[in-house]
Amino acid sequence: MKIGSKEKLSSPQAAVILVNYILAAGILTLPRSSAEKLESPDIWMTVILGGLFAMGAGIIIVKLSQRYPGRTIYKYSQEIAGKWAGSFLGLIIIIYFFSLAAYEIRVLSEVTSLFLLEGTPIWAIIMPFMWIGLYLIGGGIDPIARLFELILPITVIIFLIVISMSMGIFELDNLRPVLGSGITPIIKGVSTTVVAFLGIEIMLIIVAFMDKPAQAVKVVLIGTGTSMFFYLITVVMVIGGLSVDGVLTKTWPTIDLIRSFEIQGLIFERFESLLLTIWIMQIFTTYTITFYAASLGLSQIFKKKIGPFQFGLLPVIYLIGMIPANMNEVFAMGDMIGYSALILFGVLPLALLIISKIKGDKA
Amino acid sequence: MKMSQIKKKPIKSSTMKHEKKNEDEGPYELTGEIQRDLQLFKKEIGHNSDVHFREFNIGLTSIRAVLIYVDGLSDKELIDKHIMKSLMQDFTDAKGDGRHEAKEKFTVDYIKSHILSLGEISAASNIKDTVPQILKGSAVLLLDGAFEMLILGIANGKTRNIEEPVSEQAVRGPREGFTENLSDNTALLRRNGGTEKLIFSKFIVGKRSNKDLIVAYIEDIANPAIVEEVKSRIQQIDIDNVMESGYVEQLIEDNFMSPFPQAQNTERPDRVNAALMEGRVAILLDGTPFALLVPVTFSMMLQASEDYYERWISGSLIRLLRFVAIFISLFGPALYISFVSFHQGLIPTKLAMSIIGTRDGVPFPSIIEALIMEVAIEILREAGLRLPKPIGPAIGIVGALIIGEAAVSAGIVSPIMVIVVAVTAISSFAIPEYSLGISLRYLRFVCMFFAAVFGLYGVILFFLFISSHLVKLKSFGVPYISLAVPYRLSDWKDFIVRFPLKVLKERPSMLHPKDPTRKG
Repeated sequence: MKIGSKEKLSSPQAAVILVNYILAAGILTLPRSSAEKLESPDIWMTVILGGLFAMGAGIIIVKLSQRYPGRTIYKYSQEIAGKWAGSFLGLIIIIYFFSLAAYEIRVLSEVTSLFLLEGTPIWAIIMPFMWIGLYLIGGGIDPIARLFELILPITVIIFLIVISMSMGIFELDNLRPVLGSGITPIIKGVSTTVVAFLGIEIMLIIVAFMDKPAQAVKVVLIGTGTSMFFYLITVVMVIGGLSVDGVLTKTWPTIDLIRSFEIQGLIFERFESLLLTIWIMQIFTTYTITFYAASLGLSQIFKKKIGPFQFGLLPVIYLIGMIPANMNEVFAMGDMIGYSALILFGVLPLALLIISKIKGDKA
Repeated sequence: MKMSQIKKKPIKSSTMKHEKKNEDEGPYELTGEIQRDLQLFKKEIGHNSDVHFREFNIGLTSIRAVLIYVDGLSDKELIDKHIMKSLMQDFTDAKGDGRHEAKEKFTVDYIKSHILSLGEISAASNIKDTVPQILKGSAVLLLDGAFEMLILGIANGKTRNIEEPVSEQAVRGPREGFTENLSDNTALLRRNGGTEKLIFSKFIVGKRSNKDLIVAYIEDIANPAIVEEVKSRIQQIDIDNVMESGYVEQLIEDNFMSPFPQAQNTERPDRVNAALMEGRVAILLDGTPFALLVPVTFSMMLQASEDYYERWISGSLIRLLRFVAIFISLFGPALYISFVSFHQGLIPTKLAMSIIGTRDGVPFPSIIEALIMEVAIEILREAGLRLPKPIGPAIGIVGALIIGEAAVSAGIVSPIMVIVVAVTAISSFAIPEYSLGISLRYLRFVCMFFAAVFGLYGVILFFLFISSHLVKLKSFGVPYISLAVPYRLSDWKDFIVRFPLKVLKERPSMLHPKDPTRKG
């Protein structure tokens, strides 16, 4: 008899997983990618709108998952769409997950080699990171959740400290005029910001692990809301500090914001190292949860043990991560993954939910 | 004569049966014939010069009796003034009758209930089983014609007095420490514990050492699942000799590959009592003043009993200080290496200039520099531990002042490196749990290597690696990192900040205690 060896997630744990998953590369790139689309300082509204959309999608996903308690998408998709179509669907989701993992580690290596380790080859940066992730997910969802819980407070505290230090260069004028170019660009920009909220799809899997699945909707609202809050602060502070035009010229505007000021008298004068620290941890969380989701999917679809799949996926993720030749291709890859996710997780769960309802009514 | 004949018959058949059962081992049941039994005993332990066989007659009767005890382990005064005296006084007078009747009277039961005024006394019939008890200080009384012998608990080996614990000193708090004597230790716990629900359950460990081990817990607080787990792991211990509680710790821990200790050891009874009150389980072993506390979590290792004795504000601040200390002792040199070798741009320009200025002329990269100093200080520390007490501080002065100073002026290391190493060493002394301190000492080196290869990124990788390990690690089913996570408001009251005692109404919930609140 073991105490506390439950493989169940409490509701706060589920919310923490969600927040950690959502917050990743987006913190550094969201201000630029949305500014490119909008070219107006109203990005923060788009972020809210994107968050609301994500919440909507999340609720649909939760409703779908709640119909099949204790089962993940990989299992119940087979029930809804039949064995072959369901498995095929599961495989697509798996491909999505490990492509996202690959994208995250690639972004990680690019940022790290740019700001921290100039001249270090990408493979050398990626490999230890990947192995540590593999070590973690070998323990299952329970340690993953606990690590995420450990990382989140560190992230929150450091992020708030670092970002609030940029108050010195914050200018409210950079955020004006509000709604200067009307509502249309805000609506158009939503497709960009909603991608930043990718991560909500993890609910397809973790609802099955929750000890109180009934609270899953609350988890979505709190998790997405917290992430939205972080993105809002980021976007407002970055645009406020650098202005829209300034943001457009930067690849990593959030880091550039932190680099653009110095505070005398403290041990550090520049704080991007702190920001990068928490950001690397956030990438780690996203990488591990997607890696885990992909390997879990393979093990559930093929009904084999999860361990070999985790080892097997490691080189696959690495190779996919090495495909893009330069930064632009990395971003193109990110966009591709993002938009495929929009279809995969914006449309698909709704369709599955409808089919399931119809089927369920018949039975 | 009649009686003895009648008596002997059934017993003989039973010994026969016994002989059949273990033919190889030979008969170890008492035969009732004192000379034969004595021979058996002598065969077992007679070749030891410290085992005494005192043969005598019970008070002026013809009944032969033998008292077997180990010199120095049993209380000689008790033997002389109580046992021998009571047994050898004139019983014929008291009975007024012939000797035969007296002989019949003198059954084992009679002696037990009328003659020997001892608290701890029991009867046994198997010789092999009683030998270990003799070797622990009990005396055995053999009677002619009896099929049982008496085991007299008169162990009184020379033990140390109760003194202030050397390894865990406290400015405020009880000055009592455990000793090597198990019964002294349980007495200390019982006296401070007070509750009748404090259970001591006894085990014997070690095939050859046969040491007593006590599992202590409070019945209506401790989670029965944890207690059962501890007991079953102790029963599974399969080793011939258990020298110290460290053996037990290593034999029952969850993950022997982990760098972190998974049981807490302490010399302080007040600490054990506090842990029992939280619903934890204590393991006490005979022959060592170190008790084990399980399960343990990372944050428990950072708590000292004084945190609770001092007022909550100072207690909290000191605890916060310890978190800082743990951070420095783990990451200090690594961060220095990564900033100096990789990210000079991230430190303030003036500081960077002065560091580069002092490093001018140092022929090694910062990792080698750090390794030289860290290894030197570890050697110093180890040397200081082993040296006789009067020389210990001298070594400290030699090490800290002379080597540090000389190394700097010789240009082998930079002065800032010396500062970093010294601060790190001092920080690691601030960790209340010695075994955790050792773990952090060598993890620091791992962290330094990560930093030397990857700089700050390496330090982050190391942090993620260690955290990944910690979240996977469990101590008796309780996650090692609990208290920090999962988030439980009641537990966080006693985590980084120690809330006022009036607010600390719950016991740590990660242990799932039977009685979750501290009443009263």
